[in-house]
Amino acid sequence: MSASVKDSVKDSMTDTILSVRHLEKTYPNGMRALKGVSFDVKKGEFLVIIGLSGSGKSTLLRCLNRLHEPTGGQILFKGQDVTNIEGDEILKLRSRIGMIFQHFNLIPRHTVIGNVLSGSLSRTSTVRSLLGLWSREDREKAQSYLNLVGIGEKAYYRASQLSGGQQQRVAIARALTQAPDVLLADEPVASLDPATCHTVMDYLRKVNQELGLTIICNLHFLSLVRQYATRVIALKAGEIVYEGDPNSIDDAWFQRIYGEGAKEVHIN
Amino acid sequence: MQKKSMGPVVRRTVFDAFVFAYLVMAVLSPIIFSTEEALHQLSRNASIFFGLSIVGAFISGLVSRAGVRTLGEILFAPAHKRLPQGEPKPWYATLWGQQALVTTLVTLIVGLIVTEASIVALLDKERITSASRLLGELFNPGWHILPTVIVHMVQTVYMAFVATLIAVPIAFVLSFMAAKNIMGTTGPGMAFYTALRVVLNVSRSIEPIVWAIIFALWVGFGPFAGMLALMIQSVSSLAKQYSEYVEGVDEGPIEGIRSTGATTLQTVWFAIVPQVTLPYISYTIYRWDTNVRMATIIGFVGGGGIGKLLIEYQLQGAWREVGCILLVIAAVVWIMDAFSAYVREAIK
Repeated sequence: MSASVKDSVKDSMTDTILSVRHLEKTYPNGMRALKGVSFDVKKGEFLVIIGLSGSGKSTLLRCLNRLHEPTGGQILFKGQDVTNIEGDEILKLRSRIGMIFQHFNLIPRHTVIGNVLSGSLSRTSTVRSLLGLWSREDREKAQSYLNLVGIGEKAYYRASQLSGGQQQRVAIARALTQAPDVLLADEPVASLDPATCHTVMDYLRKVNQELGLTIICNLHFLSLVRQYATRVIALKAGEIVYEGDPNSIDDAWFQRIYGEGAKEVHIN
Repeated sequence: MQKKSMGPVVRRTVFDAFVFAYLVMAVLSPIIFSTEEALHQLSRNASIFFGLSIVGAFISGLVSRAGVRTLGEILFAPAHKRLPQGEPKPWYATLWGQQALVTTLVTLIVGLIVTEASIVALLDKERITSASRLLGELFNPGWHILPTVIVHMVQTVYMAFVATLIAVPIAFVLSFMAAKNIMGTTGPGMAFYTALRVVLNVSRSIEPIVWAIIFALWVGFGPFAGMLALMIQSVSSLAKQYSEYVEGVDEGPIEGIRSTGATTLQTVWFAIVPQVTLPYISYTIYRWDTNVRMATIIGFVGGGGIGKLLIEYQLQGAWREVGCILLVIAAVVWIMDAFSAYVREAIK
């Protein structure tokens, strides 16, 4: 155990940004969502996690930024063990890790720019944030990230007035405003139509390539995985069953991950 | 709290036992309460009731064991056991159906006796003429006191308004502490939540008219006592209702804001408050409307305002003046009701 910790600490000094070791998560009702998951994430990767609903993908992502509490194992973020940190330390960790969600999780009644600015909450004092006194720098940054995802002109719309794809782009801009080292994306396109789907994925690739942001993304569709992932991990019943190049997932692997008789659906 | 931990069997037995004891006592009341004196012997009567309850509990157990479903069983059995076994019988042919029917009939009969209902009093010719004379005065209002009435009515509306306004910020803060999804389900948070809920429920179950009596003794008779009474009631009522809105919010935005590294206070402010603002405003206006109606009553017991004026004229038997006051109250309540419905519709 201690040897592997040392190794990962050394790795992180080179280019491993996140190390997950034997991660376990058992819910209070006894459900074992993660059964000892281990993998490394390299800086600048576009890592995709695939698997059926209930395979533990969402739980895994939420353990990484401690939205959920892991019940065993270890998470190393930039060489620091973050498995047991508490209080402000957790808030600091979350601010270094952006996250976007299947249902966007924006504040529907707030403006688009207001939603993006909430990405700077962690570096704004509580009093200033409750009064809406964002720093000029944060305002400029928020607007520039909105421009980056192509909806700069919608800044003063209500978030609820935007289409699903646009809302997800607002969510990306919010995460970027945190100036994170890693971006977690939990089924970012699962509630979007196929056309919008590619727009959102393209923006994720853009921030991955242009800003060098490391991305860990849960996905359903294998065709998207082949198109966007630099590496893929497959989860099944809380365990990793495949790890490697997205293009080497053939029919046999597909059946092993998704079960006998599963058919691949292509989305274009 | 305790009820939740009681199993369905215990609840069924207790329910059936009390229903049985109640029925037997009602049917045998001519014997049990043969004299006025017997009616007032609390400990004796309580003993009879609990004695009969024990018998009822045994019967409930025996009947259930025989596979016949009692009313208690129908009410408290877990959902998956509620479906009838075998071919369903019409409700009146089942034990629980007959149990419900008999209980309702007995309660109606006992109730008519206890409330001294009398068709004779209702149709008595002399009483009808005197009542119609008084009604005639009521509907011929003495408009000469209208200026005074309006002054008191304005006082009452302000009483209700100030009570609501002071209650809002207090209830706003309390509502988050009285919401399960904020306080968590373990440790000190849960303990605080439970304690606060108990306090709110108790203070809410005390009618404002009782609070008014208490405050009238404390700060003296007058509109201030009435305002305090309405305020207390409003705090607990608003906090309860607000906290239910907090518990019903969409979890998505909460997760979204938490994921940015926001503090708990920031999460509440950014993810929850925007979701509850409109329902809060809507319910607060409704509450003000309710407070105006209650404020008229509260004057009866020393809360000042229009109620005080009303009781003064009523005690003098000045029915034409009472008529004027009642009309003004009706008009204001109607206007408030329409106004609150209009605003609440507009901000939906």
